[in-house]
Amino acid sequence: MVKVTFLPSLATTAVPVGTLLVDAAAEAGVPLEMPCGGQGRCGRCQVKVEGKVSRRENLHLTPQQIKEGWVLACVARVMGDASVTIPSRREQEKVIIESAASRKAAALRPEWPIHPIVRQIYLELPHPTLEDNASDLERLRRVLTQQEGIADLRVPLPLLQRMATLLRQEEYRVTAILETDTGASARLLDLIPGRKEGPLWACAVDIGTTTIWVYLVNLLNGRLVDQAASFNKQISCGEDVISRIVYSQRGQGLAHLQHLVVETINDLLAELAQRHSLDTAQIYEMVAAGNTIMTHLFLGLPSRNLREEPYVPTATSFPPLVAGEVGLNVNPLAAVHCLPAVAAYVGGDISAGVLSSGLHKKENLTLFLDVGTNGEIVLGNAEWLMTCACSAGPAFEGAGVACGMRATAGAIDDVRVNSLTLEPTIKVMGNVAPRGICGSGMISALAEMLITGVVTKAGRIDVDWVTERMAGRSRARVGDHGPEYVLVWAKDSATGQDILLNQVDIDNLVRTKGAIYAGIRVLAQSIGIDLSQVEEVLIGGAFGQHINIEEAIQIGLLPDLPWEKFKFMGNTSARGAYYALISRQARSKVKEIASKMTYKELIADNTFMNEFTSALFLPHTQLEDFPTVKALLRDHQGTGINA
Amino acid sequence: MPPVETPVEKWAGKIHEVNLGGDARRLVVGGETTLPFLHFEGAIPHPPAVAVEVQDRPPASWAPELRASWGEAMEDPASWAKKAVEYGADLIVLYLSSAHPDDQNTGPQEAKKTVTRVLSTVDAPLIILGPGIAEKDNEVLVAAAEAAAGRRVALGFCEQKNYRTIIAACMANNHVAVAKTPVEINLAKQLNILICDMGLAPDSILMDPTTGALGYGLEYTYSVMERLRLAGLQGDKMAAMPMFCTVGEEAWRQKEARATEGIPAAWGDIATRALRWEELTAMTLLLAGADVVVLRHPQVVQRIKATIQKLMTKE
Repeated sequence: MVKVTFLPSLATTAVPVGTLLVDAAAEAGVPLEMPCGGQGRCGRCQVKVEGKVSRRENLHLTPQQIKEGWVLACVARVMGDASVTIPSRREQEKVIIESAASRKAAALRPEWPIHPIVRQIYLELPHPTLEDNASDLERLRRVLTQQEGIADLRVPLPLLQRMATLLRQEEYRVTAILETDTGASARLLDLIPGRKEGPLWACAVDIGTTTIWVYLVNLLNGRLVDQAASFNKQISCGEDVISRIVYSQRGQGLAHLQHLVVETINDLLAELAQRHSLDTAQIYEMVAAGNTIMTHLFLGLPSRNLREEPYVPTATSFPPLVAGEVGLNVNPLAAVHCLPAVAAYVGGDISAGVLSSGLHKKENLTLFLDVGTNGEIVLGNAEWLMTCACSAGPAFEGAGVACGMRATAGAIDDVRVNSLTLEPTIKVMGNVAPRGICGSGMISALAEMLITGVVTKAGRIDVDWVTERMAGRSRARVGDHGPEYVLVWAKDSATGQDILLNQVDIDNLVRTKGAIYAGIRVLAQSIGIDLSQVEEVLIGGAFGQHINIEEAIQIGLLPDLPWEKFKFMGNTSARGAYYALISRQARSKVKEIASKMTYKELIADNTFMNEFTSALFLPHTQLEDFPTVKALLRDHQGTGINA
Repeated sequence: MPPVETPVEKWAGKIHEVNLGGDARRLVVGGETTLPFLHFEGAIPHPPAVAVEVQDRPPASWAPELRASWGEAMEDPASWAKKAVEYGADLIVLYLSSAHPDDQNTGPQEAKKTVTRVLSTVDAPLIILGPGIAEKDNEVLVAAAEAAAGRRVALGFCEQKNYRTIIAACMANNHVAVAKTPVEINLAKQLNILICDMGLAPDSILMDPTTGALGYGLEYTYSVMERLRLAGLQGDKMAAMPMFCTVGEEAWRQKEARATEGIPAAWGDIATRALRWEELTAMTLLLAGADVVVLRHPQVVQRIKATIQKLMTKE
């Protein structure tokens, strides 16, 4: 028998060597919370130990925390006398958050020289005299040449029409806003009488199939000032790119889709403008990154050829455009740049993603994933880059799922299912009642449901089995859409309705993860590489920053590689657009990357279908490829149906 | 010409050996460590088995040619099974067709009676198939499983949407499950995993990868079976179940085996053609790795038995 003392209560107990810390705690009268039912899955039972205990490697603890003596009480066994500190709830939260934060995306730091192509230049023009009565335009040109070396200037008619007035308003002192270094002559975007105060506004936009992000940037210092996101209004015309293309072929479909995406961006711009008390006409540049289809629809380009063999886009590299032509609610003369695409199904978002993830600089074999409605995959290093795309569906972004929502306040983003009681414990973003479930919550829920046996490996919610196990009120039942599992009862939700995952949702999730994993497999096979050779996995996409690697592996979304190989990059598309916005060096690098990538067409490859079917299983039909999940399921033998 | 060395593959895996039948007559299928009939390469401890399809009521829709071949025996499943054994059947497939709601909608009591009668008439191992409607399958197969306790029969079909009850009945009575999936290697493997997760041993499963008849997708089903067998031999235990093929049902469904009017003279005599259709389908699937072929025509049973015997001779 050994003695275990619990702090701060000083409760003491004597237990045999090998007793689990949680059992010792219960014995001592200080029971610990175990939302997952105690298999070291949730990390909520962290305690700090002095003395001898057995430990098990765990994703929930950082190496630093382990060094400090933190263990998970549900898996650590007492091996000698020990003193155990039970942290207060507040401390506990902090430990959990810190350990989670260490796995999350690095902060957005501009790593490129700040050198935007839109600049503002203060000019003092000599007053005209009878001796020097050159035209206003000539006078402006002359000073620009002398002061900035800009020899060739294009002036849009609306500005030419107002030039005489604008120049004279502040005694020929004027701030010129110019678009330079595009390969063509400089273009005048605005003339502001006097010395312009305040930031030079611009925005980077990530046009996702499901979610659109707008970053507001001050070009004077390159800082990201704020960001806003919302669902792409085109969703009402189809959830994935193919249905959007189909819609675009109907009557006014294309014009309507173009209108909807521009309207979504304009709404977000208005939101940001209001927050920062600026006039959207003060925004002078936009860099947009989107997949090829989204970019086509954004510009109103016909997209039907993208859907039909041999999948030819109107353009992959897009000429510089003017905001007014596109209908954007920024300065009508503002410069609009769309980042170059690789092929019909690998767009500027991926060129931007490779840039911002740094894949093009890696020495080792690296896998880059952008998990969105389309799953794009890039494999390679500094020497070569291979890419492919698969249609994953919008489930992870919260669309097409009964209680799905984006990762904002009220979204369930973490779920634990107690393997003994099958009761879920949820974590909600923001300090509010739950409204729905976001992508990371779905991955978490599905992983937990698999491990506890609520869903079978075939992805079926096992209503009978759950009902049999749950005395009283069963979380599983048959609803309007077939079997379903209730995460939050109506009385506890913000919507007044049960928050649940139904069978259709689960089927969607399984298809989504299956498509992405199959894409990864086929791309690796096409170059004869085994996934175990991958040294690093970079995960991009707005959704990527929230997911839990362990759970993503458990459902077979990500290959079963050591956790330290995975790195979250956040929204790599928006960030790449942001880099391109603030740095012309970054912009030319994106072009280089886009031209360097070799595209693999999955549609032309019959191995994809086979890999896809193989991936429509939890975690995968080839369970041998997921050794850690196999072991985990085996550990639950006797408790779960999936043992 | 210089002598050519026969390439010999050393396979890591082995097909599971599935035992069927009671004390009076046992049958083992599977156990191969090589591809079909490649005796020079590995072991084929048991010849593929030939089963005869017997229905629990006379099948009115069967081709006249078939009905004539069995005659009055078809009136009673026990006599039909007995006659089938006389023709050389290694085992009997007993279809509880009458339980179909569109047929006579018979229930568990009738199923129990039929199974008991057939089992008491023949010693040959039995494979019992339900009418193919999940609810009814579960009802009659559970009854059949109890009636056949101690005789280790196979029960089918388990499908991904309905397997739990049948597997539970197999486990309770030490029977074998027949797992059916729609012509897809992954789905076949997935169902095997699900079944094993319930606790049924891998050597208590036969898999039906679903086959087509000659001229009706046979080459596709052939390739799926071949890939399953290769996976099994490569060591994938969840793909290493012996394969079960409903040849007769497929072959006799096609117009080549049925049509008597308005067909080109070159097609020849209907009797010859129909029998050949079934025989060729069976032969092809045996070469793809089938361990049990279910046949309908007694003459085809004899021909296939003879061919298997020749192919099993190790010279």
